[in-house]
Amino acid sequence: MKHSTSQLVEHFFRHESANLVAVLTRAFGIRRLDLIEDMVQAAMLEAMHTWKQSGVPDKPAAWIHRVAKNRILDALRREKIHEKAISFTGQSIRDQESIVDQWLEEEHLPDSLLRMIFVCCHPSLERKTQIALTLKTLCGFGVSEIARGLLLPEETVKKRIQRAKKSLAAANVPLEFPVDDRLVQRLDVVHDVLYLMFNEGYSTSLGSEPIRDDICEEAARLCHLLCESAYCLPVTKALLALMLFQAARFDARTDEDGAVILLEDQDRTRWDRCLIMNAQSWLAQSKTDQPTTFHLEAAIAMQHCIAPSVEATNWETIVRLYSRLMQLRESPVYSLNRAIALAQAGDTCEALMQLESLQSREEMQNYLLLDCAFARIHELDGNTQSAIDACLRALSKAVAPHEKELLERKLLKLTEKR
Amino acid sequence: MPKFMFVYRGGHEGMEHATPEEMQQVMQVWMDWIQGGVEAGWLLDGGDGLKPEGAIVNADLSVIDGPFTESKELVGGYSMVEAHDLAAAIELAKGSPMPQSGGTVEVRQIMQPGMEGS
Repeated sequence: MKHSTSQLVEHFFRHESANLVAVLTRAFGIRRLDLIEDMVQAAMLEAMHTWKQSGVPDKPAAWIHRVAKNRILDALRREKIHEKAISFTGQSIRDQESIVDQWLEEEHLPDSLLRMIFVCCHPSLERKTQIALTLKTLCGFGVSEIARGLLLPEETVKKRIQRAKKSLAAANVPLEFPVDDRLVQRLDVVHDVLYLMFNEGYSTSLGSEPIRDDICEEAARLCHLLCESAYCLPVTKALLALMLFQAARFDARTDEDGAVILLEDQDRTRWDRCLIMNAQSWLAQSKTDQPTTFHLEAAIAMQHCIAPSVEATNWETIVRLYSRLMQLRESPVYSLNRAIALAQAGDTCEALMQLESLQSREEMQNYLLLDCAFARIHELDGNTQSAIDACLRALSKAVAPHEKELLERKLLKLTEKR
Repeated sequence: MPKFMFVYRGGHEGMEHATPEEMQQVMQVWMDWIQGGVEAGWLLDGGDGLKPEGAIVNADLSVIDGPFTESKELVGGYSMVEAHDLAAAIELAKGSPMPQSGGTVEVRQIMQPGMEGS
């Protein structure tokens, strides 16, 4: 089977480059990150040129590992630095080579990747920088892909990553696991980064590039890696459950043309039952005396996933879960969603009062979803004209074409009702 | 049926900055093309890639290392195909991923014993 690509799993190049960067940085130090990335890139190119005609070798991962390792060792030797200085851990280059070989073995890979997660989520970096660096280093995305995924100019992403690498190198941050009481703090940051990374990819208000699904997938993959490790807390499992519940509804969220389909119009048979069951199992394992926001958000996502329809959804439970969320953390977004759940549960009066109190808040002035929530509640209340007015208000704020399109469809539906 | 050799040149321009995902996509296109040719029967041998390093030995036995200076002149690989005539082989070559990636395919009939050059 000279020309088979079957051994090449999806995203093989991306994941192998992440594996290599993690292991080689662990071996040669964060200061060498630029050189390591160049050598890994060169190894990937060599693989592409060789394999595209000659076919994929039996063990493609081992092939790439060997080439990349040799390239970095050659480059270090060329630098004519004294052998001792080459090695981050103070070993000779030959010892270093066998250590690298060992770390590149499949069962040892997660260890290096997890160490790298803690580096990318280093508290000295800004949150947005942590996300960009994680996508670059641990997911193998290129700058252009990250820029497209996060809807940022390429130059911005490039600068963020460069600055991050510079400051990590200056501090010579080692690839080690945090210990004692620092571990929980550092894990908190990692959880937040993975959560935000997932949200960046998930948010439908930002368009539906395929790359955005990949970002969600990567956040879930890294979270899963953490869940399978010794550094897993109950909250890690709750976060994974949350991601999987949301991911289960991915395919049903957009139609063939990529237009957004609202929850009420989604074909629930297209939801991924397997993922939902998987998520339920993680949520069950995440049990703890002190549920976090991730626990509660996952519980809400589950309520949607197990409901046969919008009407048959257990809205009372969802309202209760939002109330508990608001006790943990005050957030207008929680209040807004609680109001919608309240209206769905039948209490449109209380729901409207809640929304009106949100309206006065400054950060909600240009928040499109507030008007959408008004529209929904007026619609549930049978007050079509007010619903239309709210939709028009939202339309005046909508920026992205697909948001406009969605609101226009909604308006048409409401006008027909009138 | 006449046999032909496809000689691939260039087509790597700009790939130095390709992302891993883009590289995988390029490879996939080639793999699909080769697979298609093997299944249809006209691709006798997908051939091999050639390493960029090499040398040229001249008539005066002087040696130039690195066969070409420009990457677009560089022979990157070859394949063996079967076609009714040169025109048919050229059509097959047009279908290869090479022209799309900015490279060229040289199509040459292989001379076989007892066969006219035709």
